[in-house]
Amino acid sequence: MEWFYWLVPWEESILVVAATGSAALFFLRGCALVRPSLHRKLCFWGGLSLVYLVSHTQLDYYSEHQFFIHRLQHLALHHLGPFLIVLSRPCPVLLAGMPSRMRQAFHLMAGWKPIQYPAQALCNPVVAVVLFSMLIGFWLLPSIHFTAMIDWRLYRVMNWSMFLSGLIFWGLVLTPGPVFAVKLSPGSRIGMMLAIIPPQIVIGAIIFFTSHELYPIYTICGRAIGGINALADQQIGGIILWIHGAMMSAVGILIVILMELMLAEYPKHGQKVA
Amino acid sequence: MGKNFAGSRNFGYDRLAAGLVIALAMSACNSTEQGHVKEVTGHLPDLSFSLSSDEGQPVTAKTYEGKVLLMYFGFTHCREECPISMARLTRVMHLLGEDADRAHILFVTVDPTRDGPRELRRYLAQFDLEQATGLTGTPDEIGGLAKRYRNAFRPHFPAGGEGGIMHGDAVYIFDTQGRARLLATSGDPEETLAEDLRDLLPS
Repeated sequence: MEWFYWLVPWEESILVVAATGSAALFFLRGCALVRPSLHRKLCFWGGLSLVYLVSHTQLDYYSEHQFFIHRLQHLALHHLGPFLIVLSRPCPVLLAGMPSRMRQAFHLMAGWKPIQYPAQALCNPVVAVVLFSMLIGFWLLPSIHFTAMIDWRLYRVMNWSMFLSGLIFWGLVLTPGPVFAVKLSPGSRIGMMLAIIPPQIVIGAIIFFTSHELYPIYTICGRAIGGINALADQQIGGIILWIHGAMMSAVGILIVILMELMLAEYPKHGQKVA
Repeated sequence: MGKNFAGSRNFGYDRLAAGLVIALAMSACNSTEQGHVKEVTGHLPDLSFSLSSDEGQPVTAKTYEGKVLLMYFGFTHCREECPISMARLTRVMHLLGEDADRAHILFVTVDPTRDGPRELRRYLAQFDLEQATGLTGTPDEIGGLAKRYRNAFRPHFPAGGEGGIMHGDAVYIFDTQGRARLLATSGDPEETLAEDLRDLLPS
């Protein structure tokens, strides 16, 4: 039962269990009513389980104690996980699977001005791009990173902020329809995905080319994997940030182009694409 | 591929965001404090443990109340970091002079299967130190303490073999009330460490 041990959370978080648990439950119930396509289901379960696995299993121990694994964790939390979840267009399914009172509360909240204004501000393309890129840079500032890795509260804020900003960004660029009354043209959405590439390349390259240890916390508290020295660990982490950013944007851009082509060709059934 | 995208200018935001990120990254390079041990007040939890001392007695954080504590995770078979770190801490204690009576080193083993009270006592005797105690316990007890202070140690997957245990060089420093205050490393000069420890001692 060694493999089972890997699923035991390294640090329990009720919030992670409650969030993933309720999302999974609502999606399951919603599936019975809405009947989404198989590929939407695969995207949702893939994204949700990826986010859960990297944040609530023994993998979290490695993310805390090895810089490049920490970067892989954020690749899953900020890019791949939210990307897949958004691709499954989960909102109608989740809403259908919710208890009716909760659904009403959501609809009420969506129409409430104090919610609408900040939501619209967050969905502004410039804000979304800056937030997405700034968060990567902010948590990688050496002094901030040091504190986030020793303070468990900040560590959780870091991971949640990455996931939520990923959800907002990919939600905006991959959804063809309006999000909180913000309707973006395919061109702007492709532009947004292009805009997040340079900051990631720059930060990744700075980390890769720095010849001293930027993040000594991993040496101070000990590394999880032996045989990889501090600089090698740092360089692999830098490369992951450097390359994957462009990669995810490229995939996103291809998907948007594909969606637009399908919409142009089959306008009535276009919504079924992706 | 990324470089091609970087060249296109569909939006001006990319330059704005990149500029801000670079500015932040640059400012951070100079923000580390010079001449002082890293302060961690409020970020790490207060000292709490229940282990066995090298005398075989059960001890808790309360046992050492009123002393400035230096906690280090290591093991007696370690050939590299541990002897160097312990020698450094010994020198720090000597630099403290009379104040050393109000400070105490806790050497917590990360190899509890091999390091019993007797091994720990014999190991610490090599250093010219009165103010040091070796602490041992079950792998889960040690694991709990290491996890509390974010030290890399997992009780269920111990790395076996001589010197095969990986551990950091952190020295966790607690004030007389057991609050985590400083995080020292092998990079901090002994003089600086002694000076910062003196600041934690009530006058």
